[in-house]
Amino acid sequence: MMFKYFVLVCLFASASLNVQAASDEDAWQALQKAADAAHVLSYQGIFVCQSGQHTKSVEIKHMFNGQQEYSRNVVLDGAPREVFSQGGNLTIYNPKNEKIIIEKRRGQNMFPAILPTNLVAVKASYSVRTGETERVADRQAQVLLLEPKDNLRYGYRFWVDTEYGLVLKSVMFNNRNETMDSIAFSQVNLFNTVDLDWFKPKIDANKNYVMEDEIAAQADNNPSPHWVLKELPAGYRKVDQMMRTVRGKALPVTHVIFSDGLASVSLFIEPLANGAKPRVGRSVVGNTSFYSNVTGFLQITVLGEVPEATVAQIANAVVFVK
Amino acid sequence: MNEQISALIDDEIALEDAAHLMAALQANSGAAQAWSHYHLIGDAMRGTEALSPNFKHNLMQKIELEPTVLSPNAAQFNQNDVEKSDKQTAIHIASAKHKLPAAWSIAASFAAVMVVSYMVLQTQFSNNGALTQVAQAPTLQVADTIQLALAPQDVPMLVTANEQAIPEEYLMAHQASAPTASSYYIQTASYSK
Repeated sequence: MMFKYFVLVCLFASASLNVQAASDEDAWQALQKAADAAHVLSYQGIFVCQSGQHTKSVEIKHMFNGQQEYSRNVVLDGAPREVFSQGGNLTIYNPKNEKIIIEKRRGQNMFPAILPTNLVAVKASYSVRTGETERVADRQAQVLLLEPKDNLRYGYRFWVDTEYGLVLKSVMFNNRNETMDSIAFSQVNLFNTVDLDWFKPKIDANKNYVMEDEIAAQADNNPSPHWVLKELPAGYRKVDQMMRTVRGKALPVTHVIFSDGLASVSLFIEPLANGAKPRVGRSVVGNTSFYSNVTGFLQITVLGEVPEATVAQIANAVVFVK
Repeated sequence: MNEQISALIDDEIALEDAAHLMAALQANSGAAQAWSHYHLIGDAMRGTEALSPNFKHNLMQKIELEPTVLSPNAAQFNQNDVEKSDKQTAIHIASAKHKLPAAWSIAASFAAVMVVSYMVLQTQFSNNGALTQVAQAPTLQVADTIQLALAPQDVPMLVTANEQAIPEEYLMAHQASAPTASSYYIQTASYSK
């Protein structure tokens, strides 16, 4: 008799586990659809971006013509900064005093394409679950919660258009469920023309357009003889390493970038200049954590939009080699 | 020749034996150039910080930001021809006011002495209630004097140990190479400089 009950309980438990696994898989698929939709749909609208005390409205137009993506993002509040993206190459027109500075960057996670199209790394560090259905920007949206598996990263909540899969709203939150950062469409619609007459900056004839002067960064493939990285925080891996000039520094600084698929952390390593005061300290300002210390004759500086424990672990992973 | 100059910089040639090199450095511009190049290379390898490319600009900006000091001496200079008109009497009064900081600094020194003596008194007589109370009376005044003596900009900022502001130059570098979705539009670091 007891045995029968036991079998029944086991069957019931495994059935509910299966249901759980199936719904997880569904949620991951929905997230994958959201990651792809932001690249392959053509849409325009206005979204509001909020980080700490700052809020900016941005007008976006994104077009995919079957081969390449084009997008124009114009900041509507304050300085009329314009960000143009063509297949991941960014050109930023940044008004500064009487000039417009033209900056070139690599674009990777611009709203609404916040999610990487390859979710393997994300799956290792976050779990996903389906929430309510809510209305955002006059559209029906399914809430997907991306929760960190540990305290080394922040969580996300995505509102995904139930029809087209586009991310309509994204919120980053900490372990106390406080919002760290949020971006949301207030108005959005799809379009299907492929002309490109809109893909040009608003030129102001009274201003000087100048290219950004500093050579920002060069790839750095030489392993340094003076430091090695031991154990990194779980889920983070090195995605880039470069030499860059940092304002106020006489010598180039090594800049290493780590990512868990969503969050990024920067590590800066430089020789401690003769007579310079070593910087040792930590702080959390808004969504950014900062940690600096000294190992051997190296000044270590780490910062990123992650909890304090993560920047501290990365700083302490740098080992000085004589 | 250049090898010998290099050796001299590295302390491999004694100064007494280097008289001919010194002469060469003065006479020969090529040798002088080598001398400064080797020093530059040495500095770079040791990581000795050279002046940043924007040094002059930054320095001038810092000077611009310095508060203008209204010098009391300048006011005193005019004092002799002050009593000519009513207008200038006003200047006279103003110049008398400018003398105040000197008096304050004396007050501050006095206050400091009082604080120290009070602390000594208090530790010595902490068991004796009556004496402590007597000693406390002047401190109240002392506190007032200190507040007068310290201009607001003299009060040191209280910073919790180990708490630091995030250095802007690193934040900018981070946001340039590893931006978050909002940092394309919101620059928490000041990009105006």
